[in-house]
Parts: sequence; C-alpha cells; structure tokens
Amino acid sequence: MDNDALYKRILRLFAESPIAGPLVTLIFIFVLFLLFVPNFASWRTVSGIVTAVAISGFVTIGITILMISGEFDLSVAPMIAMSGYLYGTISTGEDSVVVSTLSYFGLPVQGGSIPLAIFFALLIPSMMGSINGLLLIATNVPSFIVTLGTRQIYRGVVWIVAGGVLFQTVQKLPLYEVFNGRFDLVNNLLEKANFRTAMLWLLAMAIVFQLILVRTRFGNHIFAIGGSKDAARAQGVRVRRTKVMAFVISGLMAGAAGIVSFSQFRSVRVAEQAGIELTAIAASVIGGTLLTGGYGSVWGALIGILMISVLRSGVILLKIPFIPADNFPAVVGVTIIAAVIFNNYLRSRSTS
Amino acid sequence: MSETNGQPIVVDMKNIVKRFGTVEALRGIDFEVRQGEVHALMGDNGAGKSTLIKVLTGMYPPTGGEIYLDGRRVHIQSPADARALGIETVYQDLALIPLMSIWRNFFLGRELFTSFGPVKWLHRKEMREQCRESLRDIGIEIRSAEEKVGKLSGGERQSIAIGRAIHFGAKLLILDEPTSALSVAETSKVLTYIENAKASGLPVIFITHNVNHIYQVSDSYTIIRQGHKVGTYQRGELSQKDIADLITGARES
Repeated sequence: MDNDALYKRILRLFAESPIAGPLVTLIFIFVLFLLFVPNFASWRTVSGIVTAVAISGFVTIGITILMISGEFDLSVAPMIAMSGYLYGTISTGEDSVVVSTLSYFGLPVQGGSIPLAIFFALLIPSMMGSINGLLLIATNVPSFIVTLGTRQIYRGVVWIVAGGVLFQTVQKLPLYEVFNGRFDLVNNLLEKANFRTAMLWLLAMAIVFQLILVRTRFGNHIFAIGGSKDAARAQGVRVRRTKVMAFVISGLMAGAAGIVSFSQFRSVRVAEQAGIELTAIAASVIGGTLLTGGYGSVWGALIGILMISVLRSGVILLKIPFIPADNFPAVVGVTIIAAVIFNNYLRSRSTS
Repeated sequence: MSETNGQPIVVDMKNIVKRFGTVEALRGIDFEVRQGEVHALMGDNGAGKSTLIKVLTGMYPPTGGEIYLDGRRVHIQSPADARALGIETVYQDLALIPLMSIWRNFFLGRELFTSFGPVKWLHRKEMREQCRESLRDIGIEIRSAEEKVGKLSGGERQSIAIGRAIHFGAKLLILDEPTSALSVAETSKVLTYIENAKASGLPVIFITHNVNHIYQVSDSYTIIRQGHKVGTYQRGELSQKDIADLITGARES
C-alpha cells in the first residue's frame, strides 16, 4: 500500500514538473556513457560537455521563454554575430565602422571602452528582438515567417557593419577572462579539467530567468499567452506587450551569447553560429517545452542542451562508423523524436 | 411589451451596431438588464448573441451605439476596460487555460504581487489560499489549487470560471453558453451557481439556446434573430413552443 502511494506521488511529481522526465533521461544516459563508453569518464570529457553548452545555453534560455509564450525566433544567429562585432570592436577600440560611428556621436570609444562594449552588445540584439516582436504584432504574420525573414535581413546588416569580413584580435583583455576565460580555480583541482567561466554566467542567468518565469507576474503572463492567447486577453493580460518583451529577452540572450563567444575565441564572422536556432529549439523540446507553447521551463532548456552535448561527446568517443562529429546532427534528430515520445508517454501515464 | 421587476436598470445598451467588413452582425439592438435578475439572451447560432456580449465585454468594440452602466455612459474598448467597470464574463470556449494551475487561472490578470521596480513578485502562497477559500465559499471543493485545469472535467472547469467571476465581479456576471458542453448533472450544478449569484444580488446575463434553461433560472429573456431584437419577455409570458418559433423565425413577434 505504502509503496503504491509512493509510486503515485512520484508519478504526480512527474506530471507537475516539466523537467522530471528530461532530467531522469539525462542522468540515465550520462551514467550509461560513464560505464560503457571508453574515455568518457574523465574530467576532460565532462568539462568539454559543459563548455560546449555555454554559448548555445544562453540562446536556448531565450528561445525557451519565447516558445513558452507561443512564438519562435529563427534570427538569433545574426544577433550573436552582431553582438560579437560590437563587443569585440568597442572593447578593443579597433578601427572599424562601429567605432568610427560611435566616436562620431561623441562616445569615448577610441582605445576601447569596456562598459560601452557590454552595453551595445546587449542593447542592439535586444532591439533586433523587439523589431521581430513589433513586426509580429503589426502584421500578424506567424513569428516563424517573420524571423525567417529578419534572419536574412539581420545577416545583411551584420555584413554591412562588419564590412563582410572576419573580425579578430590578438589582444587578451581581462574582460574576456571574466566572461569566458579558463576557470583555473576549478581546473587546478581536477585532473585534465578544462572548465570555463561562462558556465557560472549561464547558471546565474538560468536562475534569474527561472525565477522570472515562475515567481513574477510577467512570467505568469508568458505562460498564459502561450497556453491560450484569447483566454489571456479576456482576463486583461496585455498579450502584445508581453509577446514583444519575450522577443526582447530572446535578443538579449543572443547578445549575451555573442559576448561569451567572442570572449572565448576573440574572433567573430558574419555567419557566426549559423544554425544555432534549430539546436536551441531542439534543446527546448528535449527539455520538455511544448512546441505549441504554454508549457516548459528554463531548467528543462539547460537539461536539453546538456543532453545534446552529452550525446555528442559519447557518440564521438564511441567512434561509430559513419557518425563522426560532422554527422552528429543525425543523432540529434533521433533524440528529438525519442524525447518527445518519451515526454508524452510520461505525461499521459501521470495524468491518468 | 411586458412589466418589469421595478428594479433599476444596470446595463443599458442602445442601438448597438457591429459590422465585420461588409457583414452586419448587429443591426441596431437595444438591450437592458435590471438589478437582481437573471436575464437570458436567446437566439439561433449566428443570430448575434455572442457578438452582442463581446461588445459589452470589450472583445469587439462596437461600430455604433451607446452603452450605459448604472445610467452613466461608458466606452468599453478592451476586456480590461470591462473588467475595471465590474463586468465579469465566463466564455464558453476561452474561460481557462488548461496548461496552467487552478490558482494561476483564478488570479490571471489580477495577480497579487509586490513591486520591486519593474519586477512584480507574486504572492503565491496567499493566492493559493485565497483561491481555495473563495471557491469553497461558493460551494466548489477542489483537491489542490496547484492542479492543472486541463485535468479537470468540463463541469469543474466551468465551476471554477464562474467562481472566479463571482469572486471578482462587482456589478454584472455574464455567462456565454456555460452549459453547452456539459452533462445533465454538471449542468444542474452550474445552474445552482447561477441561482446563488442571483441570490447575492448580482445581475446575471445568461446566453443560451436551450429553452429549458430559461424556465429553470431566468426571470426574463431577450430573443434576437439575424442581428435584430425580436423582443424582451418575462418568465411565463410565452410557452416553450412560442419561444422556439420566435428564435427560428417561424413566427413574428
């Protein structure tokens, strides 16, 4: 009897929490790989898995919030590139379109400005996000189409800003170490570990946005408009404003990803992170977010992106024929479908 | 046409016109509801019942006409306006959000919070407790306020939507076909809540095309057909057959 009650309580927990299923799956796969994949059980692999999710993690948080609100954003890659260019050129003061334009307006960017670099790298992508949102509410064209269009337009804008070329610097500003340097405090303790500091920023962002989602009125309205736009409107929720804000968050997170990316590689190109939007949507869905909106969580997003990274490391180390690193998307495809089937199964089991 | 209950008029809609492009859904309708009555709004599918109500609740701003609330002219441009005036609506199709919990639905758009600058921090515990208590006061028992609305039966959902409207509704309760998707037992329960609301002095507008319901709960009723008002009648004034004929247009008033 007691066992039965416990079993039911656990099932209920699964029903209430969108992350329970994905979390169990992640742990299961991780343990399986630890036991059976050669060379997987090392700090080098584990730190590699964590480091690989840092940049895409920011984007996934933004896209997950947007998907909960019932919309998509396919235009994040050029926002990351834009952020990278702004951050890189303004922080170094490198002679470029960005720096000469800003100094024309009297801003002290000659020789580099750290606060302005961070400010513009976050502001401009947020504005690009707000343009997506405003276009959506002004035209009623589905966000999938709107952002498919702005994705190409934004890429064009980035091309103009960048002059069509790669930007890179040999300077190693302390700022870069703060946002995504080697995390030697930890690395020195663990053998062959190669953690980077961006994981702390990602964790902080995840905590902040999860709290915003479940503990604030804005978060409540995000779930409401994704669950049923008309029902939310009937209850006096400002649907259009909330949608635009969700797009701004997606842009802001893309901006953060640009900062972290440039801090690590000290280079940025026009096609930076191309295709990341689909990885982020896949991670959201694997993490339990509903494609139709109204359900999901930031933790689920992180679990989803970690799952993809764990699978990638495992599959590469297994050296399966025909699936080297280049062909890894095939595995992601299988994972998405399997994850959705598994999540649906858990949900139906726990609701009946 | 008929005598009234002598109570003051709460809602007075005058010569309401609503056009969608070239389609004229409402062609100059007058509609009034008095204090403490359950007023049924009847008509066939597409007659304009829901459109008239959505004009009153701000979902569709009217093309023409005037609305008076307690004798004062009001301009209702959005659902938020209507709610600020104390008009609470339970829609047949968009009452609650299935993926959200009962308490989040209950307080949606009226959350209790503390502001820290732009951050509006929710009082979750307080809302959970208030939701449970006020539903219990109306006679609705729920297992847990955390439960998702999607797991409830149609009758339970409708009860919670009505409970929410009664809890927040100061002036007027509007029910848009609240029983259309319910079983017989659930319907009678919902009708009880309507009786309770009336007993507490709240005027109720009740949209339906079920003639039986008029005899069970409504004091008066207005019949509309093809965007025109056929007439307003008191309980017992017409037979069920007469009503049905007026709705379908088999007979003129």
